[in-house]
Amino acid sequence: MSRAPSRHVAATWLRRYAGGGPGLPPDVAWAIEVHLEVCARCRARLADAAGRDPAINALLGRVHAHLQAEIPHSPRMPATTRRRATVASWIAPALLPRLIVTALVVLTAVGLDLVSAEAGHRLPSLVLLLAPVAPLVGVAVAWSSGQDPAHELVVASPRAGLNLVLRRTVAVLIVVIPGLTLAGLAVGTSPARWLVPCLAFTTGALALGEVVGLHRAATGLALAWAVIVVAPSLITARPSLLLDSGTSPVWVAVTVGVAVVLVARRSAYASLPSGR
Amino acid sequence: MVGVTPGDEDELVRRIARGDGAAFDELYRRTAPWLAVRLRRRCADDDLVAEAMQETYLAIWRAAPAFAGAGSGDAVGWIWTIAARRLVDAFRRRERTTPVPLTALPEATVPAAEDLIVDAVVGDALGEALRLLAPELREVLQAMVLDGLTVRETAVLLGVPEGTVKTRARRARIALRAALS
Repeated sequence: MSRAPSRHVAATWLRRYAGGGPGLPPDVAWAIEVHLEVCARCRARLADAAGRDPAINALLGRVHAHLQAEIPHSPRMPATTRRRATVASWIAPALLPRLIVTALVVLTAVGLDLVSAEAGHRLPSLVLLLAPVAPLVGVAVAWSSGQDPAHELVVASPRAGLNLVLRRTVAVLIVVIPGLTLAGLAVGTSPARWLVPCLAFTTGALALGEVVGLHRAATGLALAWAVIVVAPSLITARPSLLLDSGTSPVWVAVTVGVAVVLVARRSAYASLPSGR
Repeated sequence: MVGVTPGDEDELVRRIARGDGAAFDELYRRTAPWLAVRLRRRCADDDLVAEAMQETYLAIWRAAPAFAGAGSGDAVGWIWTIAARRLVDAFRRRERTTPVPLTALPEATVPAAEDLIVDAVVGDALGEALRLLAPELREVLQAMVLDGLTVRETAVLLGVPEGTVKTRARRARIALRAALS
C-alpha cells in the first residue's frame, strides 16, 4: 500500500478481533476492518494472532490443499488492457474476415477491369460499379446478433446505440475508402463518381437497419444494387446513369435525407429486438 | 517473502497475472488469515467460509490478468469485494439444499473495563450510536456500508426478506442521524 497508516490496532483488540465472537464493540470492529484493508503490517499481526487458533489453521490448510489441486487446471481470463478496450470500442468482432473478403472482391474487380481494358472491350468499370456497395460487407456486422457472440452484452453496455454503430462504421470506411481510391486510380476511375453514392448506401443501410436489422438491410441494398444497376450495365455494356458525375447532388440529397431518418430513429440501436 | 517489499499485494497480483505460482502462494500466506477471520465474523459455519475462500482465491487466480491490466491499485479491497460476494453465493447454494443456521446475534454489549478505556479513546458520538443500535440493524449496516453488498445480497447473507433489509437500513439511518444530531 502506498499510504501506510501511522496508527495501528492495539494488540488486545487484534486478538479479540481474531477470536471472533461478540466481545468487540461494533465501532471498534468496524474501525479495525477498515484499517486492516489498508495496513499490511496489521494484517501480518492479525495472521500471527489467528495462527494460534486451531480452527482457523485447519480452515486455512483445507482451503490451501483444495487450491493446490484446482489451480493447475483452472482457466484464466485474458487481460483487458487499455489498448484492447479502445480497439473493441471501434471494431466489430467479425470485421476482419469481412474486410478481407471486401479486399479480395475489389482486387478481383481491378483485375477484371485491367484485363478487359487490355482486350479492348468497352465494358463499364467493375470497380466503379461495386464501389458504392463495397463498405456494406463490413458495415453489416456493426450491429448484428448473428455475427457477434457478445451482442446481448453489447446491447446492455452503456456505449450501445447509434454512437457505437457509427464508430464501427467509421472504422470500416477508414479502411475501405482508401482501398477503393487506390483501386480506382489503378483502373482510372475518379473517387468523385463513387464516393457520395458510397456514403449514401452506408447511411441508407444504417437507417434501413433500424427497421429490418442491419445485416438484412445491408444484404438487401447490395442485392438491389446488383440487380438494378450492376447487371444491366454489364449486359448493355453502358455505364449506369446513376453513377454519372452529374448525379452527385441527388446522391447528396439522398444521404442527407436518410441521415435525418437515421438520427430520428436512433433508439432502435439501443434495444434488442428478437430475431435480428 | 523474497523480493517483495512488505505490503505490496498489488505487485503480487501483477505477478500472479503472469502465471507466477510462488506469488500466488505468497498472496495466500499474507491475506488468507485476514480473510478467514473477517469471513468468520460474518458466518458461523466454517464449511461455508472454506467454500467462499476457495472460490475467492480461484477467482483471484483467474481474474488476476484483468485486475493487473485495469491498472487500478488496491488489491486487498478487490479481494474483499470478491470474497463478500462469494460468501453470499455460498449462502445461496446452501439455502437451496438445507436451511442456513442463522448466525448468532451478538448480545447487547455490557461495557467491560476495556470498553470503558476504549470509550475514552474512541468514544465519539458515532461509536456511541453504533453501540446503542439494535444488533439486527447493525448487521444490515455492516453488510451494506462496510462490506458494500446490495440489498439483495444482504438479504441472502442475513436470511431475511429484502423488504426487511430496506426497513432496517432506514431505521438504522434514522437512529444514527438522531444520535449524531
